[in-house]
Amino acid sequence: MKELGLFLGCTIPTEQYGYEMSIREIMPEFDLKLIDLDNVSCCGAPLRSINLMMQMYLSARNIAICESKNLDMYVPCSQCHLSIIETINRLKNSDKLREKISKKLKDAEDLDYKGNLEVYHTLDLLYDKIGIKSIKKKVKNPINWNIACHYGCHTVRYSDIKRPDRAEHPNKMEEIIKAIGGKSQDYSEKLNCCGAPLMITHKDSALTKAGEKIKAIQDRNFDAISIVCPFGGRMMDSKQKMAADTIGEKINMPVFYLTQLVGIAMDKKEDKLGLNLNLMYEDIVDK
Amino acid sequence: MSNGITDLFNMSKPDKKRYNDLEKELEIIGIKTPNICYQCSKCTSGCEAMKLLELKPHSIMASVKDGFIDEVIQSDEIWDCVGCYKCLERCPQEMSPVDLMYIVKNWYVSSGKQIPGDYQILLQNILSTGHVQTPLDINDKNNKNCNRKSLGLPEMKKPIDQQNFTKTISELAIEGLI
Repeated sequence: MKELGLFLGCTIPTEQYGYEMSIREIMPEFDLKLIDLDNVSCCGAPLRSINLMMQMYLSARNIAICESKNLDMYVPCSQCHLSIIETINRLKNSDKLREKISKKLKDAEDLDYKGNLEVYHTLDLLYDKIGIKSIKKKVKNPINWNIACHYGCHTVRYSDIKRPDRAEHPNKMEEIIKAIGGKSQDYSEKLNCCGAPLMITHKDSALTKAGEKIKAIQDRNFDAISIVCPFGGRMMDSKQKMAADTIGEKINMPVFYLTQLVGIAMDKKEDKLGLNLNLMYEDIVDK
Repeated sequence: MSNGITDLFNMSKPDKKRYNDLEKELEIIGIKTPNICYQCSKCTSGCEAMKLLELKPHSIMASVKDGFIDEVIQSDEIWDCVGCYKCLERCPQEMSPVDLMYIVKNWYVSSGKQIPGDYQILLQNILSTGHVQTPLDINDKNNKNCNRKSLGLPEMKKPIDQQNFTKTISELAIEGLI
């Protein structure tokens, strides 16, 4: 059984509980043991606009904590994943930055930064590490719905550094959906942003972005949306009613984390996957 | 950057020193010089903040190239960026308007001005708890109150020595990239 250091960031363990529950429920079935990392903090990504040194320090800090346990890292939040991969890359390419930040980590918190670990996201963990074949073997209850895949900006961009899927034509989530019995097609709005980062400065614009995307998906007759980023969950599910009000449209679109969908296909219990926390989920399971 | 231009709105002149500092900071994080921008506007055509907020990354690039950095810092536009990274992904010159805007926003903040929106709260929460927020009580679809404990989730991890964490992160507030 391979052990992975689980780094959840801030948004998943404080509000998007369904993502965390389904991750904890399904990953052990694929021979992965998730180790909760002590002492972790925010990844720094929300502070990019305030101070890039703070952002890189916080990412490097969490990397160093995981490395101190000799573990590779599993980061299910796309924003955290980007910040951590970006920091590894920037510190690798700049001696000055690496020296400055490693010295601060050592002096202030006695942490050793190396930057040599593997960092997985839900998408590449399922598709590349576990693989479609192993997922197919676990399917007991094929889902049989037509699913719109929402990747999230930070899951796929930017391709100068390693991302879980391709920037312009991501398809790993569709492949996983097909493996668990579902259907999925491309749609023109697939790469559109959910608006989450704008909640900090322009709430109405943020909700408009989310509302327009969900409306477009609904108009294309999808049964549900699949996501792999907690900000997608916040904007498209938790705030779906607010988003609908903002754009003045009627929307009712179930949203699932990919890990929840895989869990449903594996015949896991609903309460173990946190399905009752998905506010827009109604009786699609019986469809 | 070009010389000899005057901004006729406020009679300001290009600031060569600021431009050079910006180039240096961009270089440290591995981003090319703004000078290579040839104004194709591909960044703006893909920009997620263009339709609703009229953010035009290519016009910010044009002001920066001409050395009008202070004007960019003062503009509200820089706070409209969603951070979707489409401009960086699609720039044929491999320049990064999004990272340039992050640096310019950092300069705005370090000049001591009021930070817009909820950024101040985010920062304060991280300094005092290590995370942007503490675990919330939420309602499920049947309006039943749920929290980590009632859902069977383990306690959330946080910095062990919170005082030392706060001190360390606060010290970074005065650090620039160079």
